Amino acid sequence: MSALRGSLSDGRNAASTPVSITRDGDDLLISAETTEFRVPLRDVAADARVLGVARTLTLPDGKQITTSDQDTIAEWFPARHWVDHWAYDLESRWAAAFASIVVIVAVLWLFIQVALPLAAKPVASMISPKIAQLIGVQALDSLDHSIFKPSKLSEERQEDIENRFYNFLAREPGAEGLSLKFRGGALGPNALALPGGIIVVTDDMVKLASDDELLAVLAHEIGHVRGQHSIRTILQSSGVVVLMTAVAGDAMTMTVLAAAVPTALLESHYSREFELEADDYAFAHLKRHGYSPQLFADVMRRMEKAEKDGGTAGVFQYFSSHPATDERILRAEAQR
Amino acid sequence: MENTGNEEGAEDADSTSAAEAVLPADSTTASPATADSATADAAAAASTMADSSATGATTYPVRFTGLVREYFRIWIVALCLSILTLGIYSAWGKVRKKRYLYAHTLIDGSWFDFTGRPIAVLRGRIIAVALFGGLAIVGHFFLPAQIGFILLLLLLTPWIVVAANRFNSYNSTYRAIRFGFGGRVREAAKVYLGIGLLLIPTLGLIYPYYRMRRLRFVTEHQRYGATPFETRFLGGNFYGAYVISGLIIVAAGIVAIVGGIILAVSVGKAARDEGAPIFALIWSALIYSGYLLAFCYLRARVGNLTFNGTRVGPVQFASSLRVRDICWLYFSNIAAILCTVGLATPWAVIRMARYRAARLTLSAATPLSGLGAAAMQSATATGSEVSDLFDVDISL
Repeated sequence: MSALRGSLSDGRNAASTPVSITRDGDDLLISAETTEFRVPLRDVAADARVLGVARTLTLPDGKQITTSDQDTIAEWFPARHWVDHWAYDLESRWAAAFASIVVIVAVLWLFIQVALPLAAKPVASMISPKIAQLIGVQALDSLDHSIFKPSKLSEERQEDIENRFYNFLAREPGAEGLSLKFRGGALGPNALALPGGIIVVTDDMVKLASDDELLAVLAHEIGHVRGQHSIRTILQSSGVVVLMTAVAGDAMTMTVLAAAVPTALLESHYSREFELEADDYAFAHLKRHGYSPQLFADVMRRMEKAEKDGGTAGVFQYFSSHPATDERILRAEAQR
Repeated sequence: MENTGNEEGAEDADSTSAAEAVLPADSTTASPATADSATADAAAAASTMADSSATGATTYPVRFTGLVREYFRIWIVALCLSILTLGIYSAWGKVRKKRYLYAHTLIDGSWFDFTGRPIAVLRGRIIAVALFGGLAIVGHFFLPAQIGFILLLLLLTPWIVVAANRFNSYNSTYRAIRFGFGGRVREAAKVYLGIGLLLIPTLGLIYPYYRMRRLRFVTEHQRYGATPFETRFLGGNFYGAYVISGLIIVAAGIVAIVGGIILAVSVGKAARDEGAPIFALIWSALIYSGYLLAFCYLRARVGNLTFNGTRVGPVQFASSLRVRDICWLYFSNIAAILCTVGLATPWAVIRMARYRAARLTLSAATPLSGLGAAAMQSATATGSEVSDLFDVDISL
């Protein structure tokens, strides 16, 4: 029987003596330079086996023996808890490590793509309209203090558009919850829907679109409100943030940045599906009131051209939250 | 305090309490032009410790022998199983990772051992998630609850610090002798809340002193077996470190502003409008780098100050972390982690541990074997004697 080499510490002072350990039947024979003693195996406790970690044997009187000979100790002292057994099994195989990477990616993808959106939908519908209104008003407020400027459209023009908007909502359920706001600023032709049914349209959009085309744009925004897209986006991206924090929590403290980047990308991805959903709603709403989805295609084309002429495409398109405009134009024309 | 091999860093000997996460990141700046701060700190240490390492003392360098190819596997399996078990396995993962790092930190040929039981860690995590997570969610929608949550967190900090340190110290062993932590919640409250509250009337100017007191509280109540830790921290040294760290941030800000103005002026209006997002990105990257530089400077200086002002019986610590090394390590680690979507994290941890160990030495005039166990320790062999509420790891 080959002897193991180890170090013995008596637990009374910080000394370490080299020893050799042999197994003699059901006993361990420990021999140092000057002493030798015997301990029954069943009185010795071994710590859990971890990849690359030397083993520690604890004797009943507090002495401890450490040894690097993992394999022999594993033979003499099989794992006491199944978790430790399985954990070591996985740690010791490279195949398990690679499989882990695959599993992690798969589970995270599934969670973000499937579970979170599924969960966000019912939660969004549980949020009371008052709270949604509060969030929307606060959001508009902060936008007014940053990128929005007061609208430069005349009072009559605004009233005119508002009237057309409310006519457009005739016989539509939940129309009372919707309100229309006009804003100026350097955003270009744009419209957005905030929680609480607040729809904002920019001066540039009013200038760019014809009266009927403007209705098509507003129909799209109404689609966002109907689908509670803004609330769901907030919930989903909060979920992603929580998830990334929980997963990355083990990593270095300064890599919060690493969590933020994929989150930002994912946020723009959520919007893709919501945009298409809002488009579909818009087509149906337009048809209900006797307008053609072609209007939508026309204004999209005009916006695309305006953007190309302005030249802000390129690098930042990846972060843009609107799916390929061509795709949407085709879908609109297919519906007319 | 036994984190010498651990990435978390001994200078954060308070353990990662929740309050540490809430408080602003220390931002003292270092002037890169100053003399080697390591020697400055060593000199400061020598002058404060009257009985510095005299002739005849043995030096024990700290060795770190961890390998990325092993630690990566422990780390990735722990991550995978933690996700699959919705976080439950993370307790085992934490213990296993810690045991690996401890077992590869060697002094005088012997390594450290972490004996914390995963169940205790799990208990702590469940409590923390239930308490803090629940309050955080409620606070999200209900503002008064959010304020109550922050207040509760602050009030619990002294208890959390004591509990975490007791757990970590008791479960850290070297040559079969346990460490221990004797700090009391009452004194922790005096330091964390009492001095902490003074931050408000002094507009934060007292922060370096506050940091020093916290480090002192956590360090001076540690013991190795029967031998208590002793500290000699000078507030002045901490102030110096923070002032320089602040200067770094100011310098970075000036560079960013001046550079931004020069760039904006030299480039045409059209390019300015078009490139505005890119400029914003570069500008924030510069500011962020400035903060990171200041943070690294602090890490190095405070780390050195902490170790150099600490002794255990005959053992004196000497730390010689260099600012430029820490900066390089942090920047390259972050870049690697970003590029590999986090997979380089184990490599970063091992790298950092290796460096910290290489920069740490112990010196003792009498042999280490002279350090003895605490009186009651030899009475119990296996099993935890800490069966009260404190057998819970809240340090997360």
